[in-house]
Amino acid sequence: MLLPIALNAQTPRAETKATPDAVASNPAREDPALARLFENRVAPLLRQHCLKCHGQEESLRGGLSLVSREDVLRGGDSGPAVDLKTPGESLLLEAVHYDSFEMPPDGKLKDEEIAIFERWVRSGLPWTPGAERSSRRAEDNGMQERLEAAAHHWAYQPIANSVPPFVDSDRISTPIDAFILRRLHDKGLSLAPEADKATLLRRVYYSVTGLPPSPSDVRTFLADDAPDAWERVVDRLLASPQYGEHWARHWLDLVRFAETNSYERDAAKPFAWRYRDYVIRSFNSDKPYDQFIREQLAGDEIDPRSDDALIATGFYRLGIWDDEPVDREQALYDQLDDIVATTGQVFLGINIGCARCHEHKIDPIPQEDYYRFLAFFNGITPYGIRDAKSVERFSVRPLPSASHKGTTSKDDRVLCVTEVGSRPRPTHVLIRGSAAARGKPVTPGFPQILGGADATLTPAAEGAASCGRRRILADWIASPDNPLTARVIVNRIWQYHFGKGLVRTPSDFGVSSPPPTHPELLDYLAGELIAGGWRLKRIHRMILLSSVYRASSSIDPKAQSIDPSNELFGRFPSRRLEAESIRDSILAVRGDLNLQMGGPSVFTKMPAAVLAGQSRPGSGWGKSPVDQQVRRTIYIHVKRSLVVPIVAAFDGADTDTSCPSRFVSTQPTQALLMLNSDFLQESSRRFAADLRRCVGDNEEALVCAGLWRVLQRPPSRKEVERGLAFLRRMVQQHGVGEARALQYYCLLLLNLNEFVYIH
Amino acid sequence: MARRLRKRRREFCGRTRRAFLWEAGMGLGGVALASMLYRDGYARSPRDPEASPRTANPLAPKPPHFAPRARQVIFLYMYGGPSHIDTFDYKPAMKGMDGKTVRVKTFGRAGRRNQGRIVETPFRFRRYGESGQWVSEIFPHLATCVDDIAFVKSMTADSPIHGSAMLQMNSGRILSGSPALGSWVNYGLGSENENLPGFVVMLDPRGGPISGAKNWSSGYMPASYQATVLRSRGEPILNLAPPAGMTDAVQRDLLGTLREYNEQHARAHGGDRELAARIASYELAYQMQMSAPEAVDLSQETAATHKLYGTDNPRCRVFARQCLLARRLVERGVRFVQLYSGGAHNDDNWDAHTDIVKNHTLHAGETDQPIAALLKDLKQRGMLDETLVIWGGEFGRQPTAEYAKGTGRDHNAYGFTMWLAGGGIRGGVSYGATDELGSAAVENRCHVKQIHATILHLLGLDPNRLSFPFQGLDQKLVGVEPVEPIRAIMHESHA
Repeated sequence: MLLPIALNAQTPRAETKATPDAVASNPAREDPALARLFENRVAPLLRQHCLKCHGQEESLRGGLSLVSREDVLRGGDSGPAVDLKTPGESLLLEAVHYDSFEMPPDGKLKDEEIAIFERWVRSGLPWTPGAERSSRRAEDNGMQERLEAAAHHWAYQPIANSVPPFVDSDRISTPIDAFILRRLHDKGLSLAPEADKATLLRRVYYSVTGLPPSPSDVRTFLADDAPDAWERVVDRLLASPQYGEHWARHWLDLVRFAETNSYERDAAKPFAWRYRDYVIRSFNSDKPYDQFIREQLAGDEIDPRSDDALIATGFYRLGIWDDEPVDREQALYDQLDDIVATTGQVFLGINIGCARCHEHKIDPIPQEDYYRFLAFFNGITPYGIRDAKSVERFSVRPLPSASHKGTTSKDDRVLCVTEVGSRPRPTHVLIRGSAAARGKPVTPGFPQILGGADATLTPAAEGAASCGRRRILADWIASPDNPLTARVIVNRIWQYHFGKGLVRTPSDFGVSSPPPTHPELLDYLAGELIAGGWRLKRIHRMILLSSVYRASSSIDPKAQSIDPSNELFGRFPSRRLEAESIRDSILAVRGDLNLQMGGPSVFTKMPAAVLAGQSRPGSGWGKSPVDQQVRRTIYIHVKRSLVVPIVAAFDGADTDTSCPSRFVSTQPTQALLMLNSDFLQESSRRFAADLRRCVGDNEEALVCAGLWRVLQRPPSRKEVERGLAFLRRMVQQHGVGEARALQYYCLLLLNLNEFVYIH
Repeated sequence: MARRLRKRRREFCGRTRRAFLWEAGMGLGGVALASMLYRDGYARSPRDPEASPRTANPLAPKPPHFAPRARQVIFLYMYGGPSHIDTFDYKPAMKGMDGKTVRVKTFGRAGRRNQGRIVETPFRFRRYGESGQWVSEIFPHLATCVDDIAFVKSMTADSPIHGSAMLQMNSGRILSGSPALGSWVNYGLGSENENLPGFVVMLDPRGGPISGAKNWSSGYMPASYQATVLRSRGEPILNLAPPAGMTDAVQRDLLGTLREYNEQHARAHGGDRELAARIASYELAYQMQMSAPEAVDLSQETAATHKLYGTDNPRCRVFARQCLLARRLVERGVRFVQLYSGGAHNDDNWDAHTDIVKNHTLHAGETDQPIAALLKDLKQRGMLDETLVIWGGEFGRQPTAEYAKGTGRDHNAYGFTMWLAGGGIRGGVSYGATDELGSAAVENRCHVKQIHATILHLLGLDPNRLSFPFQGLDQKLVGVEPVEPIRAIMHESHA
């Protein structure tokens, strides 16, 4: 008898009719072993590899349905998929063997899987109706359940109107303290006492500017007993241009900033430095964060006459790019995937990229959500096609200001996004992420966990440069109603000040992420950010003026036993400086750091041994004048396949994907670099020479000044004595000349733990 | 078991490391310095990098998932893509077809083609060994080792373009940004010798491969897992040698004084493990300065060994030195050594686009004797059993000519040959096959992922379990879908 399958039974589709005889003789009804073959072996393969294209009436490929025995026998546009009279010659078997059709299109089945199809077809196509779908429904249900469960996940709830709790303490400096002290007191703990002034000054300099205070900065602050001394330092640092440089570096980690494409040629991205400078400018001018988001995602659509708005869209062009891909169509989707994944992680703290090939395994993100999200970007042109000229054609435009002025200088150009025009490419769900296997068509929409609304599209005018979809996405992300955006950024600010966020996984607020240690504080900060017009300096200030930020890092035995990992922020967590700060500090200490800002990137001297690893040693690495080589690290050219050794050694960000937090590794090769590298040799020599220039030849004065520079505090008598004894031993026991002895002492100073750790 | 060299080197400031740790520990108020103690087997390091990411020594030895067959790996990387049908994949059916145009699907740097002019292999093939493996005349020495080798003649890769194909062979993905195989192995097992890097790469003096350091990068893993480039002449490791003119006594004084400052500082911040770990890292750096030059000191080898490898043979002496170094490194507990045969571009590596005879004669000639010597030397020292040796490039080459004239072949990722030896591999085996022209793998097709799975499996790591959390996923070298190792080439006891 015929068992119609609900999904598609009513729809007449193909002209060919299966013979009643063949249909009648479903061997699964006679032979339980054959029924099991279908249920246990064939059905899972159908579900996994076939039914996404050949399972749903509305989107059948080639008119072929594989959801019932009848449908298989009836076939599609090319005729019956299986002919039981000559089963060995069935189209279906040819297709899985890749003989005529090549199915599944995203990769040939394994030999043993093909053998299962062979056996199934040759046994007369046994079929247990319904079995082909049963666990598919279960999968759907799983996602549905996860979506329902996730509706209660903290991160997807509206930002709560959070009020600082009452705490009876004289340590309440900003509302932040109330939230932190409340939790500490609840656990019977208290906040560590305030750190000493020199420690604090060093901490806040690195936190805000990434640079050490000079000895005179320290002396001034130590002598300043005014009650607002701290506040004035904080405000001065937040207003300094070095703030923007340091915080831009954090942002560049997130947006996988690099100035080359990786792969064989690893060619330079033209004008990528303008994006870097844009970020620095944005932080320094305290640009509202919502505007910062809008500019990067859709600056070209929002304000096409603004240089900065166009430069900001360089965001889309920073990723890796294979100029010689195996499959151009697939490569386009790889580029879009990089954009989808980066956008999701950086702005929203969601790992939507995990749903490219299948439903997200953990978070409630159906595959369709991924492609609906991708559809916002599906008007973007590829970065280029093969050569540099095509990159210029697709990704480089004149600066708006230059075009208005009518200047035609080749230098007045910008790396930016462009679109194919007013009509984007159609977007389909790609089965298993394969560009060749198009499934259901989709339109732009927001993830289901965040409401799942369709984007309201207004068709762009004919001849428009872009379809306008990115602006809709940007507005949705940069909205005070988006529960993730503000939370994610305030958490990052907290993370960069304290070494770890209130949410420990700063780019993943999904259901498997650890919940915030202080959810009310997180919401308070997010609310304050929005209320304050999305200005980040206000949040910095609130953090930096808090007693929590000013607490000592000393470890209290009681706190250690109750809160060993300092989840409650009862003390300030010590941390090692980032690679950039280490290099910048060495330059600052030796006295020749060049604080010039902005412009095209510079090239530092690269050891020949490192260049030797290139297939064309030295290619893509230039030479900058000496005074340019001592600029801050953020201005060094970021070449994906050739990383500056000190940056690589001290855990600089990997630039191929978004880097939400850096590793802190400690390894002997770092010590070798700090002791033996040309850079450190040169640095200790200059350090010594500069000391002598500044303080003369008195050994004690030299030692004292050297210690001041690296420790940024008054050295103890013992520390000075130890230095003097070292110099004496060098000269008297080891026969080293005085100049060389001081150089060795300076090398030692640059290796001190205290120089590279903040407490 | 191999003779392992674990000689105590000169100690840091006259103290043993353990004494140093003890004192450092006491100096820090008796707090257990877990991150360092792991190395000495006092404590187990968690494999989970999240467990204590800031303090655990990332290279501490870790137990495998199950009993391993191999302890270390030497990957002989034939950069550029050696032609399988001119080396090990004999195609008698092609005899007499030279110059004939045939219909065959190919995909190389010149794009997709449906027909081409056959270039019959210009090299003579013979069967060798008790197992009767086919080897081309360009490998006379290696031909004597075939009973220890398993040839996988049905390899496939996803890309016929050097850049992406190399990334796949080295990191599992054709996209830039994933950790190298050697990084995965060190992540999974740690290093057995803290005085030497756990993952070492040696390059061809003609230049690095395409994409350079991306091929040995640790990608999204910490930098601790990236390879150290080791040179066979001069300063073996970057920044290893103290500055010119700095005597050992001066350096030790400097390090001793540095430690005094650092310990005083650490006492003021009692209990901070990171500070203690950084103090220890200077002692380890000093040890490395002592150990690495010894490890690369080939003058310790006998004349017979030198002769075996061919370090005096002008044709192959560079690769001979590197193979001999590779043996010395694995002998000293280095986990993963990768050697590049070929560098830079075009005929400086195996990328024979114009003249297969000239190109392959050159590169086979440079490597044949050293590789055979390496296998024999490992075997005679009883080390082959636990050392997995892998030979291959990022893809093979096409049976047809690339240009209208000449014998050059374009890239072929549809079918090529790799071989493995030692470390649990069954010798004298050929597994899988290409079609009769060698244009594509047809029998027991193997993907690059399966080679990776096989390597991990033999090292005692489950390729479908070894994972690193990144961007919300447990990332695996072999990807999301489960991958089977190639059991048919393993000793039965281990398959």
